[in-house]
Amino acid sequence: MARYILNRILLMIPTLIFISFVVFVIIQLPPGDYLESYISELQSHGESIDMAEIERLRAQYGLDQPFLLQYVTWASGMLVGDFGYSFEYGLPVTDVVGDRLFLTVIISIFTIIFTWMIAFPIGMYTATHQYSWGDYGLTLLGFLGLATPNFLLALVMLYFANVTFGTSIGGLMDAEYINQPWSWGKVVSVLEHLWIPVVVIGTSGTAAMIRRLRANLLDELDKPYVTTGRAKGVPPFKLLVKYPLRVSLNFFVADIGSMLPSIISGAEIVAVVLSLPTTGPILIAALQSQDMYLAGSFLMFLALLTVIGVLISDLALALLDPRIRLQGEGAR
Amino acid sequence: MTRLAAASRTLWLGRLTTLLAALFTLDARALSWQEHDYLQSRVASGELPPINQRLPDKPLQDPLHGKTLGQPGGTLNLLMGKAKDTRQLVVYGYARLVGFNEELLLQADLLADYQVEQGRIFTLTLRPGHRWSDGHPFTSEDFRYYWEDVLNNKALSPFGIPNQLLVDGQPPQFEVLGPYQVRYSWDRPNPDFLLALAGPRPLYIYAPAHYLKQFHQRYADPQRLVQLVEQAKTKRKEWTALHHRMFHPYRFDNPDLPTLQPWLPTTAPPSERFVFERNPFYHRVDPQGYQLPYIDRIIINIASSKLVAAKTGSGESDLQGRYLEMSNYTFLREGAQRNAIDVRLWRTSRGSRVAIYPNLNATDPVWGPLLRDVRFRRALSLAVNRHEINQVIYFGLALEGADTLLPESPLYKPEYRSAWARFDLKHANRLLDELGLTRKDSRGIRLLPDGRPMEIIIQSAGESTEETDVLALVHDSWLEAGVKLHVKPTEREVFRNRVFSGDALMSVWTGLPNAIASADMTPAQLAPTDQQQLQWPMWGNYYQTGAGEAPSLPAVQQLMTLNQRWRDATNMAERRDVWQQMLTISSDQVFVIGTVARVLQPIVVRKGLNNVPEEGLWNWEPNAYFGVYRPDRFWLDADLREAE
Repeated sequence: MARYILNRILLMIPTLIFISFVVFVIIQLPPGDYLESYISELQSHGESIDMAEIERLRAQYGLDQPFLLQYVTWASGMLVGDFGYSFEYGLPVTDVVGDRLFLTVIISIFTIIFTWMIAFPIGMYTATHQYSWGDYGLTLLGFLGLATPNFLLALVMLYFANVTFGTSIGGLMDAEYINQPWSWGKVVSVLEHLWIPVVVIGTSGTAAMIRRLRANLLDELDKPYVTTGRAKGVPPFKLLVKYPLRVSLNFFVADIGSMLPSIISGAEIVAVVLSLPTTGPILIAALQSQDMYLAGSFLMFLALLTVIGVLISDLALALLDPRIRLQGEGAR
Repeated sequence: MTRLAAASRTLWLGRLTTLLAALFTLDARALSWQEHDYLQSRVASGELPPINQRLPDKPLQDPLHGKTLGQPGGTLNLLMGKAKDTRQLVVYGYARLVGFNEELLLQADLLADYQVEQGRIFTLTLRPGHRWSDGHPFTSEDFRYYWEDVLNNKALSPFGIPNQLLVDGQPPQFEVLGPYQVRYSWDRPNPDFLLALAGPRPLYIYAPAHYLKQFHQRYADPQRLVQLVEQAKTKRKEWTALHHRMFHPYRFDNPDLPTLQPWLPTTAPPSERFVFERNPFYHRVDPQGYQLPYIDRIIINIASSKLVAAKTGSGESDLQGRYLEMSNYTFLREGAQRNAIDVRLWRTSRGSRVAIYPNLNATDPVWGPLLRDVRFRRALSLAVNRHEINQVIYFGLALEGADTLLPESPLYKPEYRSAWARFDLKHANRLLDELGLTRKDSRGIRLLPDGRPMEIIIQSAGESTEETDVLALVHDSWLEAGVKLHVKPTEREVFRNRVFSGDALMSVWTGLPNAIASADMTPAQLAPTDQQQLQWPMWGNYYQTGAGEAPSLPAVQQLMTLNQRWRDATNMAERRDVWQQMLTISSDQVFVIGTVARVLQPIVVRKGLNNVPEEGLWNWEPNAYFGVYRPDRFWLDADLREAE
């Protein structure tokens, strides 16, 4: 096992190097560079441009250097924790992302908890009461959640929250708490705003999870060991939770791989629509304005989390399910 | 000298002058300056000197003609789309050495006075006692520092002196005439100089020397500078990068950088909310003896630009124009019923909202000569149904006509706007026939001499559906003249490069940037002076760099001569004459095909915010958006001030 883990970790190194190169190439692919998009932005508001300043910035930012040199500088900097410099903000990347990471993690954790709290009971109910009115009703709701575009739902909820409860539109707290130290009032304000993104981001995830849980449970419920258990007089709920549910959780553990990066990135589009102070809008804005080091470092960070996440879920699966562990060893 | 010692000395001097004034009652007004509640505690604790020592000896007394006298206090909330938009407070604040007033006449603002001799010698006089926002005096040393140690420092300004300071490539001679007087003189007139100083993005010719010297190699203690550079959050670890980082007067993001603007930043980026507070040393006062600005704090909240209209409609902004469009109008009006906001309509001042630019530098061997033929451009202009565009897209509220000045400009003549701008398909067809384009294909589209059908691809930067809508209507009427139009949206960068290289035949953009010009504003926008001018990018580039192709059309050459004549002119009559000639040539030659102008811009104002004009002009230059209306005069009703 230890050797397996070591192998996997060693394999991560070339993977990440490859990803970093691809990321950098793709970010550089669109014509122009950050300064060009900066010029366009000024122009679109009719502002005047100081070409001498643009030239000075180009030299200062090293945008006139050859592609490979830019890549090597960036990639080698990351090894020592220097994630580069954001042109848009005029600050090192770590300074830009730093504060937002915390709020992003909060939203994501709340969203995950919300998803589980809704999806597990419903999934279990619909599986055990297959083809009942309840099953159909909840399935319909789930599909609605799955099919409604998140950003649309976000806009509608924003409007009603504003008109009915007077919550300020967008953002994650009332304006007066921004940049203030944490206080009770600030926590309340955050909670007041938090439910919209949590519900919006949660709905589609919930629906998907209900479906998968239901399908996995249905596979298990008809198996002989369940019948045996039932015949031996195990109470129905205990039986459900102790055996079929555990088995059908495999998909859930396998999900960890993709969950880790999504905790950090948040749901980008929804975050843009809701104007959340999370990392998603930064990433999108950076890609749009070709703020390449900010975008690149961010994508690299997500890549790193994905790679680690996949490793963790592989290990967890092996730990949880003897079938996977034994088959894996048998094959070797 | 420490700041404390300086303060105590000025305190002493201040007392002396107060005493003298009281003795001789020479200037009774000096005693009647009123302290602001907002600053009271800081004055009481000795952090700030009292009001009469914070104002210049002779502050600028704003007569507030036609405005109401205000009461100080309160907070104004604005919405912006990006953290970088903090620069808008330099635009709105509009404290300039010289600035435009509401009638768009130049006036001394930060300066006490300025003298111009022969249009080439500029003597600028500062206000004695005027101070930076940190209390340090604002003197000619700040001009000398910027001239000698910034602009003429090869390391700090590798690209040399900015264009507006060059006449025929020659820099001015700079002299310090005294602690409060400097002089810039050129060999030939420099009409751009004062305009550049008054610009929404002003030309900086001064800098807070006392603050910046700590980052300058020539003045700083070397060891400390090495340390500062080391800690600096810059891309390159060099003292020049550090100096630039600290001196971003236009970005307005360094709370430590002393400023002369009415409000100064107190929040360092990154943030979602930027707080600006009143500059205790601002140089303007109102007739009651209150130091301006009336409003204590301005808060900029950053929201995604797509949400700004929604947030404004729900009453989250007290003063908003940026990121609002005419298409938001109905939504905003609905919001005005629920929230205490007022939606006003200001006018925009571009020569044309959507304008079509035939590329005179097109390299296509057949299209090129055709586009350079005035008859062809006139025919296309005659074949645009401007009335239809106005009715269909702008509710009939816009002004139809060619891309030229608006009636607001003192130089305006109705014939400029109507030249080749009425809808006359017969005339258009006749002109095209005259050009020998008589053969048509089965679709009724004229054929070029080499047999290709006349299908014109119009390049668009592709970001507004408005452009596409207008062009769809143009498409229909041009088809009647036997010309087919295709719109090709491209990414901005590609768009510009295709136009610059002459690959693009035509492009679409907004019209004349400043259509309310007066004779003392530069007519450069009418002559090839800039590569960004989409009708003749190569000729513009030739003017700027001397490289490439010189203008070949006689009319364009004439425009260039006239532009030069304007630059050399020293009296108003001659300038006006040059302007009129240039306008006549441009409207007769139809270098740009205009559609409609004076499209309205919704402006949302909180109810109870006073002195914001009911009607105004919304533009970058020369109005600096809210700038010339002087937001330092805006004030809030008592209930809004106390809502804090």
